[in-house]
Amino acid sequence: MRLELGKIKITDVQFGESTKVENGTLFVNKQELIDMALQDERLKSVAIELARPGESIRITPVKDVIEPRVKVEGSGVMFPGMIGNKVKTVGSGRTHALVGATVITCGKIVGFQEGVIDMSGPIAKYCPFSETYNVCVVVTPQEGLGTHAYEAAAREAGLKIATAVGEAGRNVEPDEVVVYDTKPLLEQVNEYPGLPKIGYIHMLQSQGLLHDTYYYGVDAKQIVPTFMYPTEIMDGAITSGNCVAPCDKVTTFHHLNNPVIEDLYKRHGKDLNFIGVILTNENVFLADKERSSDMVGKFVEYLGLDGVLITEEGYGNPDTDLMMNCKKATDAGANVVLITDEFPGRDGKSQSLADAKTEADALVSCGNGNIILNFPPMDKVIGMLDYIESQIGGYEGSLKPDGSIEGELQLVIASTIANGYNKLTARTY
Amino acid sequence: MVKEVERAGIPVVHVCTVTPISLTVGANRIVPAVGIPYPLGDPNLDVEGDKKLRRQLVEKALKALQTEVEEQTVFED
Repeated sequence: MRLELGKIKITDVQFGESTKVENGTLFVNKQELIDMALQDERLKSVAIELARPGESIRITPVKDVIEPRVKVEGSGVMFPGMIGNKVKTVGSGRTHALVGATVITCGKIVGFQEGVIDMSGPIAKYCPFSETYNVCVVVTPQEGLGTHAYEAAAREAGLKIATAVGEAGRNVEPDEVVVYDTKPLLEQVNEYPGLPKIGYIHMLQSQGLLHDTYYYGVDAKQIVPTFMYPTEIMDGAITSGNCVAPCDKVTTFHHLNNPVIEDLYKRHGKDLNFIGVILTNENVFLADKERSSDMVGKFVEYLGLDGVLITEEGYGNPDTDLMMNCKKATDAGANVVLITDEFPGRDGKSQSLADAKTEADALVSCGNGNIILNFPPMDKVIGMLDYIESQIGGYEGSLKPDGSIEGELQLVIASTIANGYNKLTARTY
Repeated sequence: MVKEVERAGIPVVHVCTVTPISLTVGANRIVPAVGIPYPLGDPNLDVEGDKKLRRQLVEKALKALQTEVEEQTVFED
């Protein structure tokens, strides 16, 4: 598969009479987007608000973040299987991305784990979306709507609006075009015979109870591990339906912009041969964990991989999936490096990961989610502060009368995201 | 908690779903539970079936408690 990704750099966002991109400014027609979202009868009301870098704005509870993209050439549409009935294979042809812009879904909390984005102040440096031009979709569900139905409605509203906004980039000349190319397996192996064959084991959050991820519209807890071209992910083959701890939530934005895939492509043909992505899940039954990790190990052996990188989403019991994958990929003959974040408790004295294996001897840390920070008050809140103390990283007394917050870093969206799309790490001295 | 109670001289059975974590943490008697969202029962069963399953789990745990172990042991069926 060969994908041309046209990057259209967005440097401002404004409301306008039509949704379009002009000289780097994204204009959005507010009412059009609201009307589109409100076609879903599960939603009572929808508001669209804008948040730009440097503004005194706090966005919370944040459900998902999506980069607006559009398929310009090639089969399929963005987010196949998620919107309408279109599930054609994606990942080839040409796609345009509005880089620097996002669509953020927020509003009344869905689960209990959605997080915070500050557009300025000391917390902004922990979040990549403090630096983007954000179209915030504030959703309110109908009274009495069940939690799972609300999650689905909020998720679909975000994807629909991101698709409509992405459409504005269809006829815009990109500032940069990046080509990603992965050949069919045997051809790919033969293309660089002298280079180590490297794969990426991508673990999708699939614990259920609002911790879900979708692959071409299939709930990831129902998949057995599979193999994919890395470019498929750039066209939205994987979408988030997940309300897990905000700091390492892999939002749909992070699937579209997976830094592991990005970096493996940068070195593809230079010092490694990037073979592809093994996709697996993180289920809540031990038998599922055994079965999925066995199949991951089988893929590593079958594909003849010399090395793999593994990322996980979430922490706690997924650490067991991480360790099982690590052990079985090692047993299958690959060198393994894990990428994850750490939760050693507020005093730093607890075990950083819930599980461990002796094979896990190479690990990149994306930081410690338990450190306590002070969030100063912001002039404006998009969404609401009502849930701060029950959001993960918040606690009784976290929210102060002036709107400031004392809470753990894990309250901040993507602050320790376990694939490296962040600025934190931990080192051993 | 398992380790601290045992340190005080009282044997402990850890009933849990993800037994590898229990092994890593250092429990000595481990009984596998049903699943993370419902470790000690199964809402997919009818009331009778669920009660039977719960009783089986408790009895298995009590039996494990009375079993001498030389090393970390997971009490499979």
